[in-house]
Amino acid sequence: MADFAAIHPLGDLDQLQGDGGEGISLTVVHGFQSAQVFAVSGKESALANKLKLGTTPGVATDSRTMTALPVSPGQWMVFSKKQDGAFVSMLAKKSNGLGHVSEQSDSRICVRVSGPQARELMSRGCRLDLHKSKAGKGFCAQTPTAQVGVLLHQVDDAAVYDLYVYSGFARSFWHWITHTAEQFGYRVNSLRL
Amino acid sequence: MHRIDCPWCGERDEVEFQYQGDATKVRPKPDASEDAFFDYTYQRDNPKGWHTEWWHHVGGCRQWVKVVRNTLTHEVHKTGGPQSKLPLPRRKAEGGL
Ligand SMILES: [Zn+2]
Repeated sequence: MADFAAIHPLGDLDQLQGDGGEGISLTVVHGFQSAQVFAVSGKESALANKLKLGTTPGVATDSRTMTALPVSPGQWMVFSKKQDGAFVSMLAKKSNGLGHVSEQSDSRICVRVSGPQARELMSRGCRLDLHKSKAGKGFCAQTPTAQVGVLLHQVDDAAVYDLYVYSGFARSFWHWITHTAEQFGYRVNSLRL
Repeated sequence: MHRIDCPWCGERDEVEFQYQGDATKVRPKPDASEDAFFDYTYQRDNPKGWHTEWWHHVGGCRQWVKVVRNTLTHEVHKTGGPQSKLPLPRRKAEGGL
């Protein structure tokens, strides 16, 4: 029997140190579980109440254990705050009869973009207005960034963005973001939840 | 370049959308004639001016958005969901032709 080991989509790319500059910090976040949650037609608010999911477009719901990003009416992407193998089955159990839950833990990587030039960096590939008058803590959106579909979540009133990128696009996106970060100077970190 | 106001996501850039054609066509009843289906499937007007069309918000919420757009000026007059009734501008002040 072959011995299979999980490989992160970025492979060892996040072991690279960047150029040591101070403008941008790229942190690859490991160890979260995630799921897509869909409401059964007509049960949207019942499901939202049961799982405590916010329904305002563009506004994340943050709790002690999870972050829920509304992506479409009656649909959310939900991320655990720590490594928790039972996270998705817990959601599925609670959603019983009200919605459907699809395990997505390995479908996306998470890159946290921070540093004094973070907003400037995002403006090179993201078409949303991320000015502080428009986007603060909890702002979220699904939007193509550098031609790659990205789920963006601003985690602080300062410009700190969690970018959830499809695993299949992870390397291509990483190439873009490191290339673009070079003009500001950047460091790479790794965070295990 | 268009800015399209998605009823759910808010105003977004054109590149997030895919144009999906004429939103005025109504599917004929299953027992309608072959000519009616030919018309529904293939026949399209090519209006100069206001046009009601489908734009799929594929890069955002993935919903279908109905858009009243001017094919001459590219102005977007109104947007809505599939059930929305979106009358074309009539008065000159609204850009009516
Ligand atoms: Zn949308």
